Amino acid sequence: MTALLTVEGITKYFNRRRVLDDVRFSVRRGEVLGLIGPNGSGKTTLFECLAGLMPANAGTLKADDKVLTSSQRKATLFYLPDGITPWAEQSVAWALSFFRKLYRRSAADASALVEPLRLEELMKARLGTLSKGERKRLLVALGLLTPHPLLMLDEPFDGLDLRQTRDAMSLLKAHATSGRTLMVSIHQLIDAGRVCDRLVLLSGGQVAGEGTLDELRTRAKLTDAGVEEIFLALT
Amino acid sequence: MRSHSFPELLGKEWRELLASRSCWLLLLMIGPLVGHAFITAVNLYAEASGLGGGPAALPQGLTPLDGILAPTFGAYDLAATFFLPFVAIRLVSAEKQSGALKLLFQLPGSLATKVTAKGLVLMGGWLISCLPGLLAVVLWKSYGGHLHGPETLNLVFGHFLRSMLSIGIAVGAAALTESAASAAIVTLAITVGSWALDFVAAGRGGLLQQLANYTPTAALRFFEQGLLRMNTTIVMLVVIVSMFALAAVWLNTGRPLRRQLLATLAVAAVLGVVMFGASGMRASWDLSENRRNSFPPADEKALRQIQAPLHVTVILSPEDPRSPILNRTFLKSCAETWPTLTSITPPAARPVCSKAAAITTAKSGTKCAARKSWNAQRSSQSCWKKSTNWQV
Repeated sequence: MTALLTVEGITKYFNRRRVLDDVRFSVRRGEVLGLIGPNGSGKTTLFECLAGLMPANAGTLKADDKVLTSSQRKATLFYLPDGITPWAEQSVAWALSFFRKLYRRSAADASALVEPLRLEELMKARLGTLSKGERKRLLVALGLLTPHPLLMLDEPFDGLDLRQTRDAMSLLKAHATSGRTLMVSIHQLIDAGRVCDRLVLLSGGQVAGEGTLDELRTRAKLTDAGVEEIFLALT
Repeated sequence: MRSHSFPELLGKEWRELLASRSCWLLLLMIGPLVGHAFITAVNLYAEASGLGGGPAALPQGLTPLDGILAPTFGAYDLAATFFLPFVAIRLVSAEKQSGALKLLFQLPGSLATKVTAKGLVLMGGWLISCLPGLLAVVLWKSYGGHLHGPETLNLVFGHFLRSMLSIGIAVGAAALTESAASAAIVTLAITVGSWALDFVAAGRGGLLQQLANYTPTAALRFFEQGLLRMNTTIVMLVVIVSMFALAAVWLNTGRPLRRQLLATLAVAAVLGVVMFGASGMRASWDLSENRRNSFPPADEKALRQIQAPLHVTVILSPEDPRSPILNRTFLKSCAETWPTLTSITPPAARPVCSKAAAITTAKSGTKCAARKSWNAQRSSQSCWKKSTNWQV
């Protein structure tokens, strides 16, 4: 698989505290890349820097060895934040319709997301009244309606029950199979092992490892180890 | 601006506006406010006109602009001060606090486009709130009342600018601050600050007075007098655009703080240059039916023939209540009539011990061009009209 994007040397300070330190990795076309790390490791900050929502102190985002301008970046990737309640007074149906019309997607495209994400019963509900899991499912649907080559999802399974998590994973895998690249941040390491093709381990704002599960096992010198053991060994 | 995304953005903002309680509160309150102002104005106007056989109090001095339109539309000044800013703040702050701004930032179209959509929708909301005012005008006409089109439209235009100024300041404050409460405090602080400036600058002249001419209340006063001043209009428009530009700068969280500060400085510099440039503009149009802001045509014609530089000195205590009237009427007319007017010395900062309450002297070189005395019984307007002894 060829690289869709290359992240080079992203560094971010909050006052004097360094939260991202020379972060480097690549995102390959059509893969599901997992960004894993404990709370406070800098996953959300990295996403926001990549999406251009927060200025990085240093570092670049490249495609085909060329640094992306802000407009190219906006056309290449879409970031779905965690813990947001957008447009609380509007209905689920409106939110889906707004994204669908904005990106000129067909009604069938939207309908195809409603069933697997179990949104049928919520269509008339206001966004402000949704539970955490319901809101998360809607946000995943909104993200999947965007046409950007790379979709970055911050904790997409947070708040979902076991069945919903499995359904959402299948949906994301299906989208990746159809050619879209996904980058997901997950703090549940077991979930990450199930859904991701490759993993980037982030610890203390630094990349502790990058590769497939087998590559990381080799690097950690642990045969048959799970994601948790690998993560502990490498960080 | 991507054409296919803009209507969708407008639609979203419109839905958000209609979902806001502050907008409905504004619409709910503006009807009774305008209605009460209109009914009171009509009653007072009728009494002053000698309705029911009573004595008419100066009916010749009554105009619908002063008696009906200005008080009725005065309710919009109140709404622009106390209601409209909160509607605008809600439209921006709610998205900041809910995280929707992070999505909005990534949607098609520039941030300027998105801020423009918000501005247009807020303008639409204000236009809807104008319905009670329009109804009052229609009722006045149905009562057989007289209206002068240009001065009516000028007044509505003044209120439009004043409301957009409120919206612009509120949107700018909401973009700059973290929460709706902080934005409300900033907006109210600006409002109270402008009132303080108005009060402090009254009759003082100089830079302070020049600045005070552009406060929302002072700017609106010109329109209420039937005057359309180019400098006031330009400054108000530029301040409105600047506030929206500031909002676009500060809502872009992806920009480093230094670039945001530089952009803010650039906006402030443009604003400063425009205000400085506008202070030299004297073009204005007296749209009042009774031409209250102008000299009689014959005087104006004669005065325009003065080619030498002129200087007007006013000997009047600044505390004298006639000072602001003199500034608004006689001196303003001087400035607009004489193209060669070089300066106006405002009322002196010392008490005047002359028997004449006020003396204005216009000098052309060493020659006295005009000299006028006021006494307490004469209004400035009657003074101009009666005065035929211009020594040009």
